Order: sequence, then structure tokens, then C-alpha cells
Amino acid sequence: MLIFAISDKGGTGRSVTSANIAYRRALPGADVCYLDFDFGSPTSAAVFDVPSALRGTEQAGLHSYLRGEVAEPQRIDIWAETESAGLRPRPAQAGQLVLLPGDRGGGEFVLGSDTVRRCADLFLRLEEEFEITLVDLSAGRSYAAQLVLEATALPELSSVTARWLVFHRWTRQHIIAAAGLVYGDRGIMATGASRGHERDRLRDSVRFVRAAVPSPSSPMFAELRPAQALWLSICDEDLTRLASEHKLGPMLTLGTVPLDPVLQWREQLITDEDVLSSQVANLETAQAFADLAAALTDDRRWQSPL
Amino acid sequence: MTRPSEPFSTVSPPAGPDLLIGEVRTALLQHSVALPRAAAGQLLQLRHGERVRTSERPSGQAVSPDLLTGVDCPLPTASGRAVRGVGTATSRAVLTEGRLLQASVRVRIAATGGSLRLPWGHYLARPGTVEPSGRLAGADLVDGHLSADRLPGGALDLGAIAERLLTDLQGRRVLDRRAPFRSRRTRLLWTATRAEPGGDGPGALFTIEDGTLRTLRLTLERVDPVAVAAFCEDLALHDWLLTTLVQLVERSGLGSAPGPEPLLRLRPAVDHLLHLWMPGARVDRALAPIWAGLETRPGFTRQWAATVQRIRDHLALQAIGLPAHSYQGD
Ligand SMILES: Nc1ncnc2c1ncn2[C@@H]1O[C@H](COP(=O)(O)OP(=O)(O)O)[C@@H](O)[C@H]1O
Ligand SMILES: [Mg+2]
Repeated sequence: MLIFAISDKGGTGRSVTSANIAYRRALPGADVCYLDFDFGSPTSAAVFDVPSALRGTEQAGLHSYLRGEVAEPQRIDIWAETESAGLRPRPAQAGQLVLLPGDRGGGEFVLGSDTVRRCADLFLRLEEEFEITLVDLSAGRSYAAQLVLEATALPELSSVTARWLVFHRWTRQHIIAAAGLVYGDRGIMATGASRGHERDRLRDSVRFVRAAVPSPSSPMFAELRPAQALWLSICDEDLTRLASEHKLGPMLTLGTVPLDPVLQWREQLITDEDVLSSQVANLETAQAFADLAAALTDDRRWQSPL
Repeated sequence: MTRPSEPFSTVSPPAGPDLLIGEVRTALLQHSVALPRAAAGQLLQLRHGERVRTSERPSGQAVSPDLLTGVDCPLPTASGRAVRGVGTATSRAVLTEGRLLQASVRVRIAATGGSLRLPWGHYLARPGTVEPSGRLAGADLVDGHLSADRLPGGALDLGAIAERLLTDLQGRRVLDRRAPFRSRRTRLLWTATRAEPGGDGPGALFTIEDGTLRTLRLTLERVDPVAVAAFCEDLALHDWLLTTLVQLVERSGLGSAPGPEPLLRLRPAVDHLLHLWMPGARVDRALAPIWAGLETRPGFTRQWAATVQRIRDHLALQAIGLPAHSYQGD
């Protein structure tokens, strides 16, 4: 199954959340690969803590592959190559967790039929091996989003399930922008339809993810004065209404990740050790990632809400 | 494909090239059922008008016509010495029992070549041969090819040719892309050199480099490209079967997870893989002793049989309603 992670703006928490979803999915045994298609600002090497990827990927990353310069993009086995002690060694039941990094320095593309062909070949190749192929796209109406919309419209990929996660923060601006990215001018729906995607099918394959949401009930806000708590919950209600008006309501929301103190400071994977032993991260955060990981393939969550 | 060894081969002087290098990539065909013979013939029809060879014994196999790929690039030397190679690589696709797809690429390295590049007609008259631009120590190229993964890019990369062929075939419309289970492709990098008089006798050194990469160094009395390639394809096929089965068993939780779940997860392996084990059945008689040696060490069939037996034991216990772990300790 292909999962595309996208957001209208940068800094929403898309990369960190999707990397954590990939990790949570691999832990109980699924084979997962994570593709860094964020051609503008590839950050996956930092989140997975594989500095070797930063050094080694001057030539054979996804950019070089899509440009046709190498036959296969570089693959990094996270369990083997991460420098994060909390991620090693590979847990007994865990499946593969593989990163396909972008090239350092990135580089320009021409969106030609060759690039689309190579992209489609790569997706098919990964489908052969991985249960989940998670593709972290650039922010906004990007070249990367266009590329994957064209690739998934090819007849060879028609039998492959593709789903979209649209990440947004829990603010007025972010909610409106996320709706625009999906339903608006030159958005996913419009671009997809113009590339040959069937409208209803594409729409039903989109879900939203609320990232870094301050929850009034969270332990982080235990010290709030009553007036502050009231204000927070009024804002929350307003935003809930706004989201529903923009077709980002609960039915179309796959999950909500609470604001977490660890992620506030550092882009990383949240391990059970972080939650249970050292207790630096919140249990709710780890649980939200695990729930999202399970929801990817839970068909009940992907039924048409209409 | 498996040409019988010539009756005179023991008395005639060693024939054939001194050095062959190759790579085989093996994958599960991305199709829900075993591809029927006619469709297999169609899939492997890589060159118009050239016959796809099929055989039914000892197992169903279809072999594509040979393809030639033009090559003009540095050769992979372990020392880093810059030696260019010009010529063509031979590749072909093999489908076994309508299930396992392989791309097999090989190159014969000519003993000498000029430092000047000749017109293509010269190289086309020697299909599957690459001529080095200068003097080249065989061992340097053998080591370079087998460690191709760790060398900087840009050198002759047979894996890239194999990968493109596999990807092309797996993406064809005749395949429904609903394989019975997910699996990893494996790679076998191999070399074959002629045994030197007074040096080590014929033999094989098989090494598991990582989860999916294997290398094989063959030293032979006689290096017949077709027979050696077929041998490596057979070895790669069985290595893939063993690797995949062991991995499926590991991941199924057999012996650790309770209930019938592990066996249910192993169902596709039982249905689609177990009957494919037939090591050496297609191998040239002259190479049979090499297979026999590999059966002693690392002992493919021993490990396969033990794994299959483990599955069968659990199946039997499940059938009489006794979970295999219920009597393990307290
Ligand atoms: N749940 C969260 N709580 C707090 N901070 C978060 C959370 N998720 C992400 N962040 C932080 O937000 C910043 C942007 O995240 P990132 O994943 O890089 O965004 P994007 O990929 O959308 O540009 C990072 O510093 C990250 O650590
Ligand atoms: Mg990012």
C-alpha cells in the first residue's frame, strides 16, 4: 500500500509524524519503507538518526534515481544504521524499516514521462516487498505531488491502493490551507482529476491528520488558570466548527497527535523507552502514532463518508 | 540450456574463456497464480521472432532469448586501477514453475583488448564478451566485481542490467500484481575462473554477504558460459527459496505465538514454495560435483529439510488439536 504524506505548509509536523507512523508500524512486524520525496528539505536522515545517509547520499539518492542516473536508489536499513541507541538492536518481532533518502543538495527536475515512468517502477518494485510504502512529499502544490499523482494514474498502478494523509496544525490558517490543498485551485483533487484519476475514488482516499495539537486536558496544561483553560476550550470549539465547515471534520480525520514536549525540542522517533522508562515523552503521543499506524490499513476508517 | 558435457572434455585441453562474471536476481513473480505456460512464453518473448525455450521436466521452466546490452565503461577493479571495458553483456530471463522470475546477466572478459575502441561490428561479432583496454589481473576484477556494492559507482554494473529487466517484466500487464505474499529480491554476484595447473583445484566459495546479497567464486576446469550461468541461476533460485522460507517462518511466530495464527501465516509458503525444491536438477553434469560440495557446506538441502520438517510437525500437532508449545516446559 502506498501512503502519501503531504501538507500545505512546512513545519506542520508532517515528516516527524510520518516517520513515527512508519516506525510504529514496523515494530509489531510489518515491512515498511519510507521515501524522502521532500525534495526541498529532506530531513528524514535526522529523524531516523542516520547521519551516514547525510554523508553517503551525494549520488545515489531518490533524485539521482528519478533522473535516471542510477538503476536503484540507495536503501538504508534503519535498524542497522541508526545511531540512536533507543532504536537498536532491531526488536525481535519487528519488520524491515528501510529509508530511501533524497540526494544531498537535491537538484532540479524536469517532469518528463521518463521521470513518471521511473517513479511508477519504483512504487511497483517496493510493493513487491513492503506492506507499507510511506512517501513524505514536499509542502504545498509541489513538483513531488504532481509526480506521484501522475505515476499513480498509470494503468500499471491501478490495482495498488494509494492513500493520502494531509497534515495540518490546529490553527485557523492551517485548517483553511489544508482544505485548499485538497479541494482548492490546483489542489490534489483538481490535479489528480486532470491526470486521469477518478474523482470519487481519489477523494475517498484522502484523510487529515492533526499534528501537534495542544489538548486542554493534557498534563502540559495542568497548571493553567481557569480563565486560560476556558479560553483554550472555546478556541478548540471554534476550530472544530471551522474544520467541519471545510470538510476536515472527524469523519475525515484519521488521527490527532498531541503537542509533545520532546518533539517540540527535537525531531525524533518516540520509543517506548522515552515514554515508559525515562518518561520524557508523553504516552498519549506514542499511542497516537500507534493508532495512526494501525489506521493506515483499517478499511473501516477509509470508507466513503458519503 | 543444460548442454550435456562433451565426452572428450577430459582429454581435450581446457577450453573456453578464462574469466566470466555475472549476476542473478531472483524474485517472486507478481501474479496471483502460477503463470500458465502460454502466458509465460509471451512474457519472456523479449526478442521478436526468437523462441522462448520451455521444458517441463524436472520442473516447468521457460527461458527467454538472450539479450545483448552494449557496454563501454570502467571495469570494477578492487585495486581501483582504471581499465576500460568495451563490448556486450548477455542477459536473459528465466521463469520457473510459473512462479519464480530471474534476471541473469553475464559477461566474458576477453584476455586482451586493444587500447583503441574498435567499430561496434567487432564487438557484435563477439556477443557477451567485454574487451579490457589494457592489461588486467583476473583476481583484481574478480574481487572488484564481487565487492561491487562497496565500490564507487560508474563501473560496469551487471546488477543494473538485471534490475531493469526484472522491473520491466514485473510491470507487464499480463501480471495481475497480486502475489500470494510479499518477499524480497535476492542477488547473487558470481565469478568463474579456470583452475590453474598447480593451483587450487575446482571448487566453489559461497558467501552470504547480507540479508539479500550473496557472492559465489567458482574455480573450474572448463568455463562454459551457458552451463555456468545455468548453474548460478539454479543456485540463486534455491538460495531465494531457502532465504524466503526461513524468513516467513521467523516472522510467522511459529513456536512462540500461540494458536493457529503462525500456521495460517505460513499457508502461502506451504501452498506455493515447498514443491519448488529441486537443487541441481538442471545442472550440467560437469558442474554436479560443485553442487554436491555446496550441499555439504553450507548445506542448502539440510537447512531446507529441517525448516520444512518444522512446519510439518506444527501442522501435524495442530491437526490433532495439540498446540506445539503446550508441552514446552512448565
Ligand atoms: N506532536 C508534536 N509536538 C510538538 N512538536 C512537534 C510535533 N510534531 C512535530 N513537531 C515539531 O514541529 C517541527 C516541524 O516538524 P516537521 O515534521 O519537520 O514538519 P514538516 O515536515 O511538516 O515540515 C519540528 O521541530 C518537530 O519536531
Ligand atoms: Mg519535513
